[in-house]
Amino acid sequence: MIEAQSLSKRYGAKTAVDNVSFTVQPGKVTGFLGPNGAGKSTTMRMIVGLDRPTDGAVTVNGKPYPRHKAPLHEVGALLDAKAVHTKRSAYNHLRALAATHGISNKRVNDVIELTGLGPVAKRRVGGFSLGMGQRLGIAVALLGDPQTLIFDEPVNGLDPEGVLWVRNLAKGLAAEGRTVFLSSHLMSEMAVTADHLIVIGRGRIIADAPITEIIAGQDKIRTLVRTDQPEELRRELENRETTFTQLEPDLLEITGRDPRSIAEAALARQILIYELTPRQSSLEEAYMELTRDQVEYQSQAIDQPEAPVPAAEATLISGGGKSA
Amino acid sequence: MSIQTAPTPAPARSRDGSGLSFGRILRSEWIKVTTVPSTVILLAITLVVMVGLSTLYAWQLAVSVGFMADASPEMQAQMGGGMEMFREQALMAPASGYIFGQLLIASLAVVLIASEWGTGMIRSTMVAVPTRIPALLAKNLIIALIAFILGAGAAFISYFIAQPILSSEGLDFALTDDGVLRSILNTGTYLAFIAVISMAIGTLLRNTAGGVVTAIGLFFVFPVIIVNIIQGLADWIPDAARFLPTNAGDRMLMFPAEAAGQLSPLEGGLVMAAWAVALLIISLLVAKRRDV
Repeated sequence: MIEAQSLSKRYGAKTAVDNVSFTVQPGKVTGFLGPNGAGKSTTMRMIVGLDRPTDGAVTVNGKPYPRHKAPLHEVGALLDAKAVHTKRSAYNHLRALAATHGISNKRVNDVIELTGLGPVAKRRVGGFSLGMGQRLGIAVALLGDPQTLIFDEPVNGLDPEGVLWVRNLAKGLAAEGRTVFLSSHLMSEMAVTADHLIVIGRGRIIADAPITEIIAGQDKIRTLVRTDQPEELRRELENRETTFTQLEPDLLEITGRDPRSIAEAALARQILIYELTPRQSSLEEAYMELTRDQVEYQSQAIDQPEAPVPAAEATLISGGGKSA
Repeated sequence: MSIQTAPTPAPARSRDGSGLSFGRILRSEWIKVTTVPSTVILLAITLVVMVGLSTLYAWQLAVSVGFMADASPEMQAQMGGGMEMFREQALMAPASGYIFGQLLIASLAVVLIASEWGTGMIRSTMVAVPTRIPALLAKNLIIALIAFILGAGAAFISYFIAQPILSSEGLDFALTDDGVLRSILNTGTYLAFIAVISMAIGTLLRNTAGGVVTAIGLFFVFPVIIVNIIQGLADWIPDAARFLPTNAGDRMLMFPAEAAGQLSPLEGGLVMAAWAVALLIISLLVAKRRDV
């Protein structure tokens, strides 16, 4: 379990992480999603004590990370695949880190096998591809068989087989009851891997909710309608909440009305419709929606209506206080 | 397998007694030093160069004395107590490799720590040892130990190589002669302090090139500049220059042990130790606070 309270990090005038509070629960994969420079890596570095928070505190399994007597058994972290001396072999890198905790060479060999590094373990890390570097970073994280795992962009540079492997590994670790905290900018990857999502933008938490809720919460009902009389249908349905996009001469995308009411209106007017497809937002679209809301809010602070997701709403209001 | 179960509780961990300890961190740092091939090669080169230089030193001394013996009686008379001077210089033969040895040890110590920042390894190190200071202390202890063994070892080997060369001119001496063991062992002590000072510089600068330049500036260039260029500016400058780390430290190896206006071997050693300890503490405190 990871608990951050009012965590902030400022570099001079630049605020990388701004008063962030969240809890990462055991037993599920928690995704940490945000655009580049949003503060994901800085937050993760503060969790393992590499960066000192300017304000606030973060604990892992109830204690600040540096206070643990056996930190590698508490938390395994992949923060940076390049955190390796390039002239040392993967095997010796793992052996040196294992030695700090008296972890056996057997465990070193186990994680090498587990991460598929066997054929290259005795080679210098300097010659590794990005994908092999990621596997080595994951091997380091698993070394202490820790209760909590933190992976920063783990699928970066991995081939499709590697991406699938990381996905299954993360899910498997969570199923064993461990805390898995995973950052990515690949929203499609989050959609299939994470159970819970924390979305960060410009150093602030925008959303913190189960992934299904985030997708659903952001989803304005959208329906694709194919008809020969799009204009007439449009006139029939027109009101303040409904918007129309003409995708093709006979294809309309209608937002803000459920499929049944569209069908009823068409029936009443005797308009023939021959496709009626409800569309669900992908996580990517939900994510764009979330970050767009934040940007819009900052430029028109007064008129913005309540945000649809409760967690987002709270942060948006605090965000307004700063820009005012 | 298809039955949905509630999330299992955290797996029970059976790792009694495992965790961080200073001994284990030392072992980890030892593995790090011995598994980068260039480090091992540099240490071997240092040993060879130190022994080689002191062999050359003994040889040139023997040649000089032999030349003098062949010279005309008037010239010998002119030289006066020359033989006594050569005898004292001969005692320096075992330690004489230190001049070059300190260059290599200083570079090695800077590289060992600064390359961790250069490659990003430091982040792995500090995630494994998040209190940081034990890891840095262990690294200092290991490089100091290596430098001591290397320095004292090279001086011992040099002693035995130099004796037959020197004996041709009657300049040979025994290990038990006054100050000989002191000079041999303190070649190691001197290099150990050089290593700790250099590692502190590397830790503070986090950059290999800058660290090496700074260390060599402090050990070689700065003392020379003070002694040769600016010492005339004020009386206290040459006085203070005695307390620079290398000027103070090499009193541990020098003959005669006591000389007018110079620190004694013990005083010199303590001054150099003070530099090493002060810089070590500063570097530990800075590294403890800094983001990595």
